[in-house]
Amino acid sequence: MNLAHIDELDAIEMPDGFVWRPVRRRFGIRAFGTNAYTSRANGQIVEEHTENTLGHEEIYLVLRGRVRFTVDGDEHELGPGQLVYVRDPSVRRAGVALTDDAAVLAVGGKPGEPHDISAWEYTFAASPSLRAGRFDEARRVLHEGLEAKPGSPPILYDLACVEALAGEMDKALELLNESVAAEERFREYAQTDEDLASIRDDPRFPS
Amino acid sequence: MSDGYEILTLDEAETAPHRENTTLIPVRHLLGFRPAGVNAWKADTGGQLMPPHEEDSGNEELYVVVSGRATFTVGDETADAPAGTLVFVPPQVHRSAIAAEDGTIVFVVGGTVGEAFNAGGWDSFALADGYRQAGRLEDGRAIMAQLIAEKPDYWPTTYNAGCFEALAGDNDAAFEHLRRAKKLDTEGHSAPYFREDSDLDPLRDDPRFQELLG
Repeated sequence: MNLAHIDELDAIEMPDGFVWRPVRRRFGIRAFGTNAYTSRANGQIVEEHTENTLGHEEIYLVLRGRVRFTVDGDEHELGPGQLVYVRDPSVRRAGVALTDDAAVLAVGGKPGEPHDISAWEYTFAASPSLRAGRFDEARRVLHEGLEAKPGSPPILYDLACVEALAGEMDKALELLNESVAAEERFREYAQTDEDLASIRDDPRFPS
Repeated sequence: MSDGYEILTLDEAETAPHRENTTLIPVRHLLGFRPAGVNAWKADTGGQLMPPHEEDSGNEELYVVVSGRATFTVGDETADAPAGTLVFVPPQVHRSAIAAEDGTIVFVVGGTVGEAFNAGGWDSFALADGYRQAGRLEDGRAIMAQLIAEKPDYWPTTYNAGCFEALAGDNDAAFEHLRRAKKLDTEGHSAPYFREDSDLDPLRDDPRFQELLG
């Protein structure tokens, strides 16, 4: 049986302090988007964000522990079996764990469209190996992402970071220019991103 | 609270009785969630959670034990699933779950690979039918009317409205819905339902029923 307890899922620590528990990826689900998050008491468990970019409706279901959600400026303290449904993608939402065992399941997608795997699932999944200098592993995950989402700017950008850190300057510059050409915001990110320090003085660097 | 979001407590939410003595928490209907099918089932020790079933080709389902404990059977495998367990079931595989503790709740997410989610409305119908059984005919009718208004050309909803009225004892209204459902169903998918659905038993002796079978 294809089954896992939430504590048996991969635990990918994110910069904001929460731990991403890949659910969709673990089971190879293609029909809908779903992930879980865990955290320690007082840690972020749902990062503060809107869904403006993706246009997703989201459900956040508390599976364990207690979580204080801030949704559209209102605070709600929820326990196991309670959920927040955020209908409006522009509503700002965030969650902080109040107990060490807190776990939240998120389900989301864009109404009226087939599920499209989000690029962040690949960049998040590659991030621990990138940080640990395991570049082949990071490349493998990001290339898997490019196969699923050809030309995805955030994935190209992260791959540029991997190549820059791995000393593959030409590849890094090519990938970076590709991501900037597809999405202008990466030009700005590139100016201050430490991962790209080794290529910033190259004349081909997008300034 | 703004209307951009909503809070729901699963074990306090409205429930609907469903087939095989199951109890549905019609989460999708209650919230109006649109990107995927989301619902929950609750049962006490020994009780059936979702009814045993298979899903059509392409339909993936993820079951999540929110509280209590369940015993899942998927294909020919059985597993103990305490709270916090996630069970993924691919299409066309038989699945069933029994509560192993009182107050067990299982949340389920479903969808079809490569297709936008399109609610069939079986869950809303379960709620409407629950109202009918509780004597709240007008509340049930309001749900059916709303479903028809949302998808006027979708035959299963109009068919279900016919079932609702047949069970409610309003034969005239039932025939009106069923005739319309038959007309909307240009590909004849409804024929086996007209022949076999026990919901329509109260109408079978009425001479008007013959035209629905033709």
